[in-house]
Amino acid sequence: MLARAALAFAALALSISVARAQPSGEITVMAYAGIFQDKYTEAVIKPFMAKFPQVKVNYHTAGNSAQMLGTLRAQRSSPQIDVAILDVSVSNVGNKEGVFAKLDAAKVPSLKELHPMAIVPDGFGPAVTFDHWVLVYDAEKVKPAPTGLADLWDPRFKGQIGLSAMPNIQGIAATVLASKIAGEDHKTTIDGAMKRLKDLAPSVQTFDPQPDGYTLILGNTLTVASGWNARAQLYHDESKQRLGVVFPKEGSVFQINTINLVAGSKNAEAATAFIEYALGREAQKRFTETMFYAPTNAKAEIAPAAASRTAAAPANMARMIALDWDWVTTIRDGWNNRWRREVIAGR
Amino acid sequence: MADDRQRRPGLAASLSLPAVAAISLGFLVPVLWLARMSFNPVDPSGALGEGWTAHQYVELVTDSFYAELTLATFRMAATSTFFALLVGYPIALFLYRLESRWKTLLVLLAICPLLVSGVVRAYGWIVILGDAGWINSILRGAGLIDRPIRLVNNHVGVTIGLTESLLPYMTLSLLAGLGRLDRGLEEAARTLGASPLRTFLRVTLPLSLPAVVLGSTICLMLAVSAFITPRLLGGGRVFLLATEIYEQALVTLNWPLAAAIAVCMLLLFSLVLFGSGRLQRRVAE
Repeated sequence: MLARAALAFAALALSISVARAQPSGEITVMAYAGIFQDKYTEAVIKPFMAKFPQVKVNYHTAGNSAQMLGTLRAQRSSPQIDVAILDVSVSNVGNKEGVFAKLDAAKVPSLKELHPMAIVPDGFGPAVTFDHWVLVYDAEKVKPAPTGLADLWDPRFKGQIGLSAMPNIQGIAATVLASKIAGEDHKTTIDGAMKRLKDLAPSVQTFDPQPDGYTLILGNTLTVASGWNARAQLYHDESKQRLGVVFPKEGSVFQINTINLVAGSKNAEAATAFIEYALGREAQKRFTETMFYAPTNAKAEIAPAAASRTAAAPANMARMIALDWDWVTTIRDGWNNRWRREVIAGR
Repeated sequence: MADDRQRRPGLAASLSLPAVAAISLGFLVPVLWLARMSFNPVDPSGALGEGWTAHQYVELVTDSFYAELTLATFRMAATSTFFALLVGYPIALFLYRLESRWKTLLVLLAICPLLVSGVVRAYGWIVILGDAGWINSILRGAGLIDRPIRLVNNHVGVTIGLTESLLPYMTLSLLAGLGRLDRGLEEAARTLGASPLRTFLRVTLPLSLPAVVLGSTICLMLAVSAFITPRLLGGGRVFLLATEIYEQALVTLNWPLAAAIAVCMLLLFSLVLFGSGRLQRRVAE
């Protein structure tokens, strides 16, 4: 009898402590606007709020990653944002400046399930989405389809190419792939890549497609352009397959978005719970199947139809070229100058 | 009035206080913040450090790219200002001389592009100037060219777009300046036997020079700081000070360098304003 009472008491105590651990209140998540916002809200934020009814999640947008960091810098003394999803090259800066806090690994068990490429050193916010550089083309006009970056030198594309140049990170990916075509290691030299891209420059209609390559292809201004897989796949569906998407035969480079806890967040408890949820198998699976960003959680079981359209498919994953974005920031200015002087100005 | 002001100098000062405060808060503080940022240390990733450094200014002076950039910016600005003057002067003169009840409507028509956002106008030019745009279609239809000529995504496109965006400002400032032109002087020249061309060259043009200087100064400033048009019509091929500030601030995240370029641009602006002020005084004499 006494033992049963003790057990009941223990169970009660446990349930109270569990109830206390339930996050509550309000948090604000800052991430990209537009279609990302729609799909992320649908696939991750709404299910999170259904699972944690005491937490209200606001979605805040502030433009691109650099503008998001600008917002966070301006709010240093009193942060209004709790979680930020932005490009890894920018979040690295935030980590160095103390804008972001380290995560409590005990409260984010999904960290253990992440792909090794998703881990950010020192316990800072890890990758939450993987996207990769692709070629997009007009499937109605371009036959046969291009197979990789190397095909752009084909005269049939003359004047109809949109190739995002540096400092846009698509330009960094293009440099790495052009180095591969030239048979050199981009970590030691990009001379061959520069020479080849310089030869390509007269065929390029624009080095800065506005508003983006997908739109310009569907608007008949370009026939082939560089792009990011997730958006390209959405445009592919929206245009009823007119916009073709190619995983380049040279391989590809990841664009990585990290999920970060803002230092000084007034509701770190709920913010951490959100990060854990976003990295968990369920949310990762749902977002990949909605928007074709590859999952960073290696254990997420993606439906084969969606997996084959992202870098998550093993065949694609094997062809990814590892690029350390922290290293990229050290060579970025140099590469950028060479693009401007050698490739675009053609000197 | 003047007597009042002399008698109570404190009143004028206190009345202008709100305006001074508004300008200080809205303009001076951000510019000072910008100046401070331009001396902030930054590492290659874009992470801001603590303390002071003149590194950004050393880079601006030693890297020949920035000298080229400044030159290219002023060349582009001067070219489009010149074309805007070439097109705007006849329009302004016509409107000024017009004695018709349609005058107000026509003046409105000349400045109505200002009612449309610069972004929309730039996209309009992309449609007109593109490879499959009107101009290339007409030229191709007439059998004058086989391959489309590139009129956009390069310097040509930016010059055309900038000229068009400057035109309303040029026309307006010329109209304002021409208002001071005494029609009686032109009539006197004609009665005394001068040909219309001679009247224009010897009377109208010299008298309108202050308006020309004023309009050109305004347009030059607007063109140097123009960002949307070069960004949308340049195709990544046109490097100017304004686009560079954008890229440093919002792409490579080098805020101090962006701030340093902005400060230098401000100094260049003051130089241009100073020069134009002196020029205006000289042509007015």
